[in-house]
Amino acid sequence: MQSSVNWALLGLVIERPSYAYELAQRFERTYQAVLSVSSVSHVYTALAALKSRALIEELPGTRTGRQPKPYYQATAKGHEDYGRWLIGQTGEDRRRLWLFVLQLATFSANPPAALQILARYEQACLTEAQRTPITPRSRTALEGVPDLASRLAHEESRLTLGAKLAWVQYARRELSAHIDTQARP
Amino acid sequence: MTLLELEEVGKCYRDGQLEHVVLREVSLQIQPGELTVVWGLRGSGRSTLLRLAAGIEAPDTGVVRFDGRDLASNSEDVLGAGIGYCQKTLSRDTSQSALDVVIVSLLARGIPPEQARSRARQALERAGAQECATMRLSALQSTESVRVALARVLALEPRLLVIDDPIQGVDLLERDEILALLRSLANDGVAVLASTSDSAALSGADRTLTLSEGVLRGPPPSELADVLPLRRATRHAGA
Repeated sequence: MQSSVNWALLGLVIERPSYAYELAQRFERTYQAVLSVSSVSHVYTALAALKSRALIEELPGTRTGRQPKPYYQATAKGHEDYGRWLIGQTGEDRRRLWLFVLQLATFSANPPAALQILARYEQACLTEAQRTPITPRSRTALEGVPDLASRLAHEESRLTLGAKLAWVQYARRELSAHIDTQARP
Repeated sequence: MTLLELEEVGKCYRDGQLEHVVLREVSLQIQPGELTVVWGLRGSGRSTLLRLAAGIEAPDTGVVRFDGRDLASNSEDVLGAGIGYCQKTLSRDTSQSALDVVIVSLLARGIPPEQARSRARQALERAGAQECATMRLSALQSTESVRVALARVLALEPRLLVIDDPIQGVDLLERDEILALLRSLANDGVAVLASTSDSAALSGADRTLTLSEGVLRGPPPSELADVLPLRRATRHAGA
């Protein structure tokens, strides 16, 4: 299953079994800056895809109108596949960084140009790092924000950016050494 | 108006025949109420940069100005009365209480004892360390030690706070408390210059820079332009 929306929705069902409409609302609240669904019908389509793969199951829900509202909960397979997919995302991040490095390496014949790209990359990392909000635990507890997920995400982002900044230092040294070697008679 | 200005500052250390260049023509301007964080690997010269900025060391080349005055000729007047350099090592005498440590720094600057006690308590409260006042230094946890160290500097009411690695050794789950404290000091108008090897400390800063091979690098002002108004707006909103 390729769809990020489907996986994100499965995560919400795992977090708490819900009705489709409620899931659509939770989806918007949780993933507002990262993922979006076009309408509630998009959520129904995603739920159908999850159900056809036996990742979720439908339970008889409450009868509020002419038809009962179905209620969705994750299956054991849903839990297992979701965990596997999450771990797989780490590899996906690594693949993206590897692609960036390979593309940067195309500038190996022109190290000054590669250094300029590195400088821009470093600036982007710094800007992103400073934009990562400070989330003291006491404050979020006081405000009652369900902020565990955002704290975990921010920390992951900060650590990743730290690794990237350290990598930039290494790459800069390598390229500078390369320039020095080329300059020798 | 610029509070601190480093203009083409250079510094090198000599070890026999070897010369190790730590800073190369570093220029930096810091405004009141600005939180600036410099990230660098160990040995990158971060601590040297901070000591120069605080007037503890003099540069080999270039000028460091605080409030328009050259620190090379005024550092003794300014350090402690304008610039607060936060040393996280509190005292060799670990039987002292946190309150004593803060009071002593005020007494050393000629503040009368009663006034010193009152200001020390206020500073501990501002740093979120009021509950540590009567605790012995040996009983403080890492985060509490940082808070007390900050209180000791804040008691002197600095306009510029300089701190090396503010979250080093701080419990992982409590780092943001310290960062929030630094942010709130900047929001109150204190310029803060911090260095770090931990990328988490870059969060919420007005300006972030890296230091490597003696060169200070960071986003150009055009890229900061969309960040700073946002910070200032939240500051005015009391955030």
